[in-house]
Amino acid sequence: MTTEGTPVLRTENLRLFFRTMKGVVQAVDSVSFSMPRRDALAVIGESGCGKTSLVRAILRLLPSNVHTYDGSVFLNDVDVMKLSEERFRTNVRWTKMSLVSQAAMNALNPVLRVGDQVAEPLIVHQRLSKQAALAQATEVFQLVGVSPDFLTRYAFELSGGMRQRAIIAMALITRPDLIVLDEPTSALDMLTQANIMNVLKGIKRDLEQSFIFITHDVSTTSELSDRGMVMYAGQIVELASAEQFYLDPLHPYSAKLMASVPTLKEKKELEFIPGQPPSLLNPPTGCRFADRCDRRFEKCDTEPPLEQLQDGRWIRCWLYNK
Amino acid sequence: MAENTPELVPAEEQKKKRRGASRATARFARYAGKRTLALLVTVVIGVYLTVIIANMGGYVDELRISELTYAVNVALSSDPGFRVLPAAQKAQIRDDEMARRIEMLGLNRPFIVRSFEYLWDGLSLTLGRAQFMTSNAGSSEVKNIILERLPITVVLFVTANVLVFLVALLLALSLSRRYGSFFDRFIVAASPLSAAPPWFYGIFLIMIFASIFGILPYGGMIDAPPPQTTLAYVLSVMKHMILPLMAWFLSYLFISTFSWRTFFLIHASEDYVELAKAKGLSSKAIERRYILRPTLPTVITSFALTLIYAWQGAIITETVFSWPGLGQLYAVAIGQYETGVIVGLTVIFAYLLAITVFTLDIAYALIDPRVKLGARGGSQ
Amino acid sequence: MRNYPTIFASFIIIGILLGIAFYAMISIPFSEAALKWRGAEAMWEDTPRLAAPIWFNAFRSEKLSETINLTRADATITEEAVSETIREETWVFEYDFPFASLPTEIKTFFTVSAGEKAPMVTLTWVKPDGTSYKLTTMTAATGDRYSISADSKFSREQLGGEDVSTALYRTADSTEEDPVVLTGTYQLIASVYHFSPDSRIDIQFVNFGEVYGVAGTDHLRRDLTIGLLWGTPFALMFGLLGAVGSTSITFLIAAIGTWYGGFLDAAIQRICEVRLQLPTLPILIMLGTFYSRSIFLILGVIIALDIFSAGIKTYRAMFMQVKNLPYIEAARAYGASNMRIIVRYMIPKVAPVLIPNFVTLIPSFVFLEASLAVLNLGDPTAPTWGKILNDAYRNGALYRGYYYWVLEPAILLMFTGLAFSMLGFALDRIFNPRLRRV
Repeated sequence: MTTEGTPVLRTENLRLFFRTMKGVVQAVDSVSFSMPRRDALAVIGESGCGKTSLVRAILRLLPSNVHTYDGSVFLNDVDVMKLSEERFRTNVRWTKMSLVSQAAMNALNPVLRVGDQVAEPLIVHQRLSKQAALAQATEVFQLVGVSPDFLTRYAFELSGGMRQRAIIAMALITRPDLIVLDEPTSALDMLTQANIMNVLKGIKRDLEQSFIFITHDVSTTSELSDRGMVMYAGQIVELASAEQFYLDPLHPYSAKLMASVPTLKEKKELEFIPGQPPSLLNPPTGCRFADRCDRRFEKCDTEPPLEQLQDGRWIRCWLYNK
Repeated sequence: MAENTPELVPAEEQKKKRRGASRATARFARYAGKRTLALLVTVVIGVYLTVIIANMGGYVDELRISELTYAVNVALSSDPGFRVLPAAQKAQIRDDEMARRIEMLGLNRPFIVRSFEYLWDGLSLTLGRAQFMTSNAGSSEVKNIILERLPITVVLFVTANVLVFLVALLLALSLSRRYGSFFDRFIVAASPLSAAPPWFYGIFLIMIFASIFGILPYGGMIDAPPPQTTLAYVLSVMKHMILPLMAWFLSYLFISTFSWRTFFLIHASEDYVELAKAKGLSSKAIERRYILRPTLPTVITSFALTLIYAWQGAIITETVFSWPGLGQLYAVAIGQYETGVIVGLTVIFAYLLAITVFTLDIAYALIDPRVKLGARGGSQ
Repeated sequence: MRNYPTIFASFIIIGILLGIAFYAMISIPFSEAALKWRGAEAMWEDTPRLAAPIWFNAFRSEKLSETINLTRADATITEEAVSETIREETWVFEYDFPFASLPTEIKTFFTVSAGEKAPMVTLTWVKPDGTSYKLTTMTAATGDRYSISADSKFSREQLGGEDVSTALYRTADSTEEDPVVLTGTYQLIASVYHFSPDSRIDIQFVNFGEVYGVAGTDHLRRDLTIGLLWGTPFALMFGLLGAVGSTSITFLIAAIGTWYGGFLDAAIQRICEVRLQLPTLPILIMLGTFYSRSIFLILGVIIALDIFSAGIKTYRAMFMQVKNLPYIEAARAYGASNMRIIVRYMIPKVAPVLIPNFVTLIPSFVFLEASLAVLNLGDPTAPTWGKILNDAYRNGALYRGYYYWVLEPAILLMFTGLAFSMLGFALDRIFNPRLRRV
């Protein structure tokens, strides 16, 4: 069991590079951050910034072309990077960390019944009988608002929204310490999105899990997250509390992001960020956002470190460094 | 919190389930019926084509007639009573005898008529008697000749294919997790060996093991004289199966393993397989439930298709190994222009193919829930 | 793309094969090759039967006898007038025999152009140790063959029934049962008496060895090099034509059927289904037996059968995917004709997959030709590897130990098959996007 003060997740210089035909892609470049318990962290960034790779790095879901994978990942102060594949599988996967994956459409095995899949982690990890596991599956289904009738159905018999909820139920069933949601609502229409957001809000409120939301859609996570982390070109550029981040983003990139999102109450002109993110094949020396930043100065030619400011937020920008 | 999920009353639930079940059975029965009909039609067409080709517009009949003429002449000339008759009478008797024999063999009706009769006979395998060949038991009925040999071919052929299929599948499943390993690269490198058909490797194998080393037989199915006890008999058959099986393996195993392994590798990048890995399932469990189960329809289709194509390979392989089955029967029948046997063999193959396809369709329907429950927009 | 070493190896092998094919076609015109190959033994009189290739001797310490073929140019000829009309022509064939085994046959062939009276020939054999035998005296007419080794009269009268070749070649102290070959210089002396001034003779003296030529000979004494050389362009042509014809037409029909849909598509599918029920090889067998074995007919039927089978289904699936792509819909919207859509949009999208399929198909055609040959259905006029393999197999080459006869065509077949197969697999990994990572 964890003590109150221990962060549920802490990474130190986590790196994940991929070998491709064109060279080595430095997708996750020495990422270090920590999450207190019951935290809901939104990880925001555009496509290719490394946020999905971060998920893979944390969950150890590696493809076959990994070039570098090192650093530390502390789950409740235990460095799980050091665990063998087998220990990791039995002790960490789904017992401590689970995943709500991106494409709910294809995340369910088409030839197994939904209930069996949702109950599977319990059978595998906690050695419950099938009956007991299905009973628990019924419970989580009710949590996410899907009728337990659907436990005996197949994936194709569920609508998109229901499938997403089933996936969330599946991630909850072992009550892991940390749940990572990779773009949980991107594939859904607006109405279903709203439904799912309500489900997630309810879960966050009632349960003890910690959450990481990966998203490129800033607006949907504003209601859910306690903190926001912005990634750019494989690095963290800002990590702040929700209030700080949504109301007053400091990093030029975060500021531009927020400025590009329409808000309900204000009238504002939407801005955009010109240019493209740098290639991760050969990341530029110096600040990686410098090319697109309108507040750059000479110091930006060297890479700024990630530093914590007085108000507790972390920022990687020479503008705010002491 | 629950939205858009109507709760059904329990009693209605039950009724719905029962109705659904009987509807599913009805649907399945309809499907099976349609497939049977379609396959029967194709078999009929196939056999008719065979009949046409085998008689090639009556070419074989002409051959028969000339053979007949010769035989009649020989028969008549050897009869001393015949030779002293006047020429006109000789001619008359000769013609009568020809006519009698033609009638007996049914060669005097128009081809089209005969072809349809032949088609029906072909389909029911009542192909009369072979003119020169007999079965081992002594019968000259075409049906017996063929059916006697059928199990012999099936034994070798089904064993070979099932073995290759199972071994390849198991190997491929484990290889799909070991991408880039030595064994994986070995399979990739060895797969071009499929270029050569089994009989080709057979010749090499016979050369090495039978001729040079002399430890395995040159061919045939059983030692001569055949062993008396059942055990020795079975062992002898197995000994004779070793080289044909090896040849089959050399040709088909690597390519099978390779294509399954590639297929599973591609399949392993499906989202639900990734999620299964994230869920912490053991590799075995993932292989079984997330890779094999969903792809089972394709696996079975592939197996059936391989069977279909491999039936032909059996013919020459049997010839090279002198395995006394249907394939070898072919070679003999052709050499002696036994139209009946040839047609019969082709019909048997057509039936075998049809049965294979039918089994495949049914298996497909049973395994893929999308087909079973009639989902629209499932597979193609 | 040279990170695929198999492509490199394949190209080398294919290059060699093409080289052999060209060499064959240039050095021996086809008509001559076909004639020779079909030729009865009359064409192959002076080659040994079932002789191994010459280079076998490189691996042996005890050399097998080579074939020694001596003609006028190798003889020392002297002439002497005996009387006004009679002259004596003496031919001396002198040659070395350094081998450890006996020749299989010893023969002389005569070509005579004589006036009224045929010349008379006396043959004398001289061994290196000086022993000599008078073999025979005979009148020679054109086309006469005198088989020294089969002269039973000579054997009876002068050798006490001993086998002639053994006697003529063994050392004096070895026995007939366990002969040791006397190495050294041998002579065959032919004294020819011509009885008219215009009488001419030409003598050919052949020691048929156990080895001959680059590739050895077969049961009909044919030099296998001809068959092996000419088999190359045959194999390549059969393979290429078959693969090209089959792949391209299948592709086209699949595209058209998928695009036009409806009745055409359904009809094509039904044809395929029926064809799948038809056992291919039996049909080919029947055609070959009852109709014709012409290589072009068989090839044509094979291609036709190949087209309407699994290939169409695969391509159809791909075309179906392409057909529903948005830019196809856009093309239809701007009024593109059907043909244009098929040719300019659909085909290029799916075409990359063609290439590996086509390459991998080549070896199956090459082996199919060999398969038909093994069933005695090959084109009887064509010298192909399959035919050689069939001849070897049917004449018990494996039982009798004539492995070179089987191995030579087999290895060529194997290399050809492997080369294209390896190339096809590598190309598949390159062109098939789904396979690129694996």
